[in-house]
Amino acid sequence: MRILWNEIKKILTWKVLLLLILINSVLYFFVIEFHIEHFPNGRPALDSYKIATQMVDKYGIDMDEDEILDFKNVYDAEVKKADRYLQSRKEFVEAGIGSYDKFANYSWENEEQSALHDKVFFEEQVDLFFELQERSRLITFHENRKVYPYPSNATAKQKLRYEELNTAKHYRVYTELIIDNFREFISDVAIAILFSVVLVISPAILKDRSRQLLGLQYTAKKGRQLYLTKIAAGMISTFVVITALLIVYFSIYSLNKTSLFFDVPIHTFIGNYAWYNPTFFQYILLCVAAIYVLGFVFGLFAMAFSSIVSSMVALLGIQIPLVAGMLIFGLKPLLSFIIGIWYPQWLVPTSYSVMLIVSVLFVVYLTTREKRRDIVN
Amino acid sequence: MLVVKDMAKQYGDFTALKDINLEFTNGLYGLLAPNGAGKTTLIKMLATLIAPTKGEVLYNGKNILSMDDQYRELLGYLPQQFGYYKNYSPKQYLLYLAALKGISKKEAALKIDELLEKVALSQVVNKKMKKFSGGMIQRVGIAQALLNDPKILILDEPTAGLDPKERARFRHLLSELARDRLVIISTHIVSDIESIANEIIMIKNQQILYKDSVEKICELLEGHVYETSIGYEQLGVFRKQYVLLSEKQEQGNMIVRFIHKGNPENEWRPVSPQLEDVFLYEYRDEIDGEA
Repeated sequence: MRILWNEIKKILTWKVLLLLILINSVLYFFVIEFHIEHFPNGRPALDSYKIATQMVDKYGIDMDEDEILDFKNVYDAEVKKADRYLQSRKEFVEAGIGSYDKFANYSWENEEQSALHDKVFFEEQVDLFFELQERSRLITFHENRKVYPYPSNATAKQKLRYEELNTAKHYRVYTELIIDNFREFISDVAIAILFSVVLVISPAILKDRSRQLLGLQYTAKKGRQLYLTKIAAGMISTFVVITALLIVYFSIYSLNKTSLFFDVPIHTFIGNYAWYNPTFFQYILLCVAAIYVLGFVFGLFAMAFSSIVSSMVALLGIQIPLVAGMLIFGLKPLLSFIIGIWYPQWLVPTSYSVMLIVSVLFVVYLTTREKRRDIVN
Repeated sequence: MLVVKDMAKQYGDFTALKDINLEFTNGLYGLLAPNGAGKTTLIKMLATLIAPTKGEVLYNGKNILSMDDQYRELLGYLPQQFGYYKNYSPKQYLLYLAALKGISKKEAALKIDELLEKVALSQVVNKKMKKFSGGMIQRVGIAQALLNDPKILILDEPTAGLDPKERARFRHLLSELARDRLVIISTHIVSDIESIANEIIMIKNQQILYKDSVEKICELLEGHVYETSIGYEQLGVFRKQYVLLSEKQEQGNMIVRFIHKGNPENEWRPVSPQLEDVFLYEYRDEIDGEA
């Protein structure tokens, strides 16, 4: 235990922790902050969020036919309010947009109407009109709820899943804003975490080798078993780094106040066709689990490369294509759309299994090699 | 008892060592050869860092590689070059290595104080090692090798970086340690071991050349080592004719020490051969090559 603790202390030094803070601060302010500071991002996103919270409060985690009818009644009442508002304004009546129906279908070419329309939305920013837009959009989805528009190139399995959702009456009723924001947030958090893991773990084994410490370490009672202890220390450090960063980032994410939607099944969010039916909270947990697995895989690879390359530059150089490849091609199917119907159902379990098996086998091979190899330098 | 049996080490086509047969009991053994002769390879095979291509090393009849941690528990090892953590103090560093050697923290703390005192580092126990001189680092290395009170102590070029005073102190420490354990020192500096080694092992052409006491090895040149005074202008010719061991200037002439196996000249003064003479004689080709 003392040896393991010593190895962890060698990885998680003050210098490394400061570097971690620096890198994460940069990535936070350049990439992640946007998803917190600008959520909801302007209007009508703000109104979309407001209405969604009201809906979850009033109707719960899903909406049945009666609730959809109630939602439409609210919309009609709001339209009447808008009518009254427009009729009370002389310039709107004179411009021929004295009712909400006319206002919503104003002519772009009519300068007067166009100016008055912009006045409501951009100068006066009247909440009612923004809300009506969003309510109208949601009603359109409600009305088309039985139409699952699968793409022409959908596979038989994907079509079957669409039918399954339809039969189970898993309609799209809530705004996609919340889940889209989470997807963008978690992707960027994953980038920060993977970078952090690679930077922290990479030198773990190389440092002792290049400092010629193996001669002393391997002739001590512990011997070459120390290599496995170093791997274990690397894995624990990976876990610590991921957990610490997730705690920080999710604390920041809590500012988005999306906990109200935690029990909402993700298929009720517009545009979320998934292979499974988890709640939003379960989906978050799934993404967290995926980040842990990706972190461990990259941690194992970092240690494997750390055992064979000769310098820190080579070590980072060899990993850049791997990390970049994952960020460019892998993060979408393997994290943000981890159960998305757009990707084959087998892709995620197969990819994660292959990555885990390959990284573990790589380390097992290196452990066996380490037990036998001549320590010449 | 440590026995090296028919051992050989091959790196591809290159033979580093061959037909090595040795026996070690308690006492101090000096492994003497020029750089590149295979000393470190032999030392590393005794320390389990390099596996022999052929043959084996036995400790009390058991193969040291099969003994695994049971053998390493008995071993104290100082490599020719060893790493350390610059921001660690000697105490932290030795505590780290003590954990690897399976020594409890409490026991290690007492032992570390004692050892740092022994290697004259008790004033800098908690100072960061990045500020240490080469000699100080080497003394920390010596201390770590002694942490587990080893039955077998293997030191590869242990005096590198030590000043004359430290060397003398180190020789004294080694003599004391060799009383009840096996100490093997690899060096190319004859004076490090000449006065303290029970036996000297010399390696030449990848094989063991001699394994005997200093006296017995020196006997090999008995009656063949001379000193004489010659003019500076004769030095070139003298160098070509004889194996020169040393030369020094004295009152405008050169005092030369050399080996000659035929009839001596009248003015030559026979002297007792020293270990260094044997070393220089046996490795004259390698040394000339290096020069």
